[in-house]
Amino acid sequence: MIYSWKKIVKHGLPLLTITILIEIFAGQILQGKQESLMLFPVFLISIPVINSISGNIGSVLGARIASGLHVGYISLSLKDKEMHDNFLISILIGLITYLILAIVIYYIALFSKIIEDIALIEFVAIIILTGFLLICVVSFISVITAFISFKRGLDPDDMVAPVVTTVGDIMGIVFLFTIWGIFGVGI
Amino acid sequence: MYAKEMVKQSLPLIIFCGLGAIVTGSTLGVMQDLLREIPGLIVIVPAIIALRGNISTAFGSRLGSAYHLGVIGADNLWNEELKQNILGSFILSLFVSIIIGLLAYITSFILGIYPNPIKLISIVLIAGLISAVILNLMTIVIIYLVFKRGYDPDNITGPALATFGDIITMLSLFGSALLVEVAI
Repeated sequence: MIYSWKKIVKHGLPLLTITILIEIFAGQILQGKQESLMLFPVFLISIPVINSISGNIGSVLGARIASGLHVGYISLSLKDKEMHDNFLISILIGLITYLILAIVIYYIALFSKIIEDIALIEFVAIIILTGFLLICVVSFISVITAFISFKRGLDPDDMVAPVVTTVGDIMGIVFLFTIWGIFGVGI
Repeated sequence: MYAKEMVKQSLPLIIFCGLGAIVTGSTLGVMQDLLREIPGLIVIVPAIIALRGNISTAFGSRLGSAYHLGVIGADNLWNEELKQNILGSFILSLFVSIIIGLLAYITSFILGIYPNPIKLISIVLIAGLISAVILNLMTIVIIYLVFKRGYDPDNITGPALATFGDIITMLSLFGSALLVEVAI
């Protein structure tokens, strides 16, 4: 037998506990901003979307870099052209996705009559700016995590997804409230 | 050409997952009154989604590896390897759910918000276990179908579990919060 529940728990617990600590921190930021979120539920709906997109793009990028490193067509250098291309394409995919989904969210909110005092253009701008900053940070972390784990002989495939989704969750919330604050909508 | 191929291959799936996340977000939007009535509830949202995501994608990818190693298959699914995996994922969910409830309570307390600790821990625990049951069952069904058709489970379980996992976790949290709010 190759699996035992004890081993699964023992191997899973340390990384999960660290992840949970960071996510609780993200949750406390949400609690601190709860009043604003209740006034503008459209942003409450957006939070899982912002985080899902960055998590997926970061994981896909990490998996591509990992395969490149394993096969050998990406070298362990921050100047690698192949890596730069992958990085830029991630940002492009991110911008397209954030644009489309921001419009979808806005109209869902409009039809459920929960939108207040915010124009489509303003909402889309906030989401796209948040998304752009987030994708840049998440892609950078994805590449760095893939590089470091590969260098140390760890499989990047095991490391990138958990690191990227956790960092993305907290940074997504931080960027959203920062950009939202700069636009000054309802705050 | 290369860039075009990459965009064409991953964009639809990422947009699809984003649409799934809108369902998750809308559930959160519907929960507004509960979030207002139960202090600390919003704190556990990111943590419980991350918990479910981590445990179920790891569960799915271990079953994928077990398939490649030949210890599990369509005609040999319900065996000791699978049972150990299920047990492991349940015990992890149980442990970490309690940790989430405790941490949410303690950090809120430090910040000057005083949630009801029993309420909070019960909500996370019930939501964690309900979503564990549903998602484990779903993983087994997906894995069974994938095995039967001879596809590679590694390509299918990850995105499928990530998208449905968040929605099911949020619905479980909603249900559990309602239940505890009525019962306690």
